[in-house]
Amino acid sequence: MILTALANGSQHGYGIIIDVREISGGRVRLRAGTLYSALDRLRADELIAVDREEVVDGRLRRYYRLTPAGTKRLADEAARLQAAATAALTRLNLAGGMAT
Amino acid sequence: MTDQADLERGYRRLLASYPPEFRRENGQEILAVLMAGARDGQRRPGLAESADLIRSGLWMRLRPSVPRSARTVRAAVRLMYAGAAVSAAGLIIGLALIILDIQVAARGQFLGHSLAAYKQLVITVWIVFCLVGVSLWLWMARANGQGRTWARIVSTVLFVLTTLELGGAFTRPVSHAGSGAVVLYYGDAVLFAAGWLVGGAAVWLLWRPASDAFFKPPGSAQVLHEFHMAELDRLRSSRARSPRRV
Repeated sequence: MILTALANGSQHGYGIIIDVREISGGRVRLRAGTLYSALDRLRADELIAVDREEVVDGRLRRYYRLTPAGTKRLADEAARLQAAATAALTRLNLAGGMAT
Repeated sequence: MTDQADLERGYRRLLASYPPEFRRENGQEILAVLMAGARDGQRRPGLAESADLIRSGLWMRLRPSVPRSARTVRAAVRLMYAGAAVSAAGLIIGLALIILDIQVAARGQFLGHSLAAYKQLVITVWIVFCLVGVSLWLWMARANGQGRTWARIVSTVLFVLTTLELGGAFTRPVSHAGSGAVVLYYGDAVLFAAGWLVGGAAVWLLWRPASDAFFKPPGSAQVLHEFHMAELDRLRSSRARSPRRV
């Protein structure tokens, strides 16, 4: 989810929260603590990196971006989900076809 | 304005649950996100929000921060946490054994009242002994997770010392308190052996060639320091350059 939020460009923390809420249609509301634990882990795994830092209202604001490894992970994950969704839809169609 | 200051103070207090290093690095940023997400006129952090911050902060303190690339060290650190859990289980079983033994002794069947007189002492010594064991596990997990070269050596020494003790674990006189105690006694011995195996596996992983890269060669602290200083300079200059935005 966080990786998806970063897929079309770098984002700062609050931007990711807003983005994730939008992507999920309002279902997922990331909290700051959870977000930064996840960002820290993703950084340790080198899936994301700090893109740039700005100072806004006297506070440091970091922008994160996907690393090539992060992009690959996201693509793999998306392909896996798509395959699973396709399989489910195919079977549903099949079942629906048999019922009628 | 004072509402905001109150709220910020509340958030700062919650951020104390994070490790200092992480707080220095990310504290301001998290605070900005929290403040941006606050409702108008909110004076105190919400309950769910607070729980989330405390949980994340404690988790950050406890969990190993070994990158995925250092797989062997990661596994070793996890084993050490498992070792700490085994030691904690040993504490409880051992405690049950001691209490059972003392109860029987107190009835004067075997060792007489002398052992019962030392009840407090025996229990205290056992608890301290086990807590030291648990702390050693956690300490080693942490230090190895940070790639300290000495931690790998200390872990190995501790493992060797435990190995010397291994024989003793199985030759202790069996308790006087009947079959229940025998089960407990063997439970404790099995746990000791399990702890030893876990430790052995962890030490083995630490000395695998794949782990070497993670343990910093001496002198790299200097390199790291220089890197941080360069980073700081870069940050300062970028701060000076970037215009303030609302």
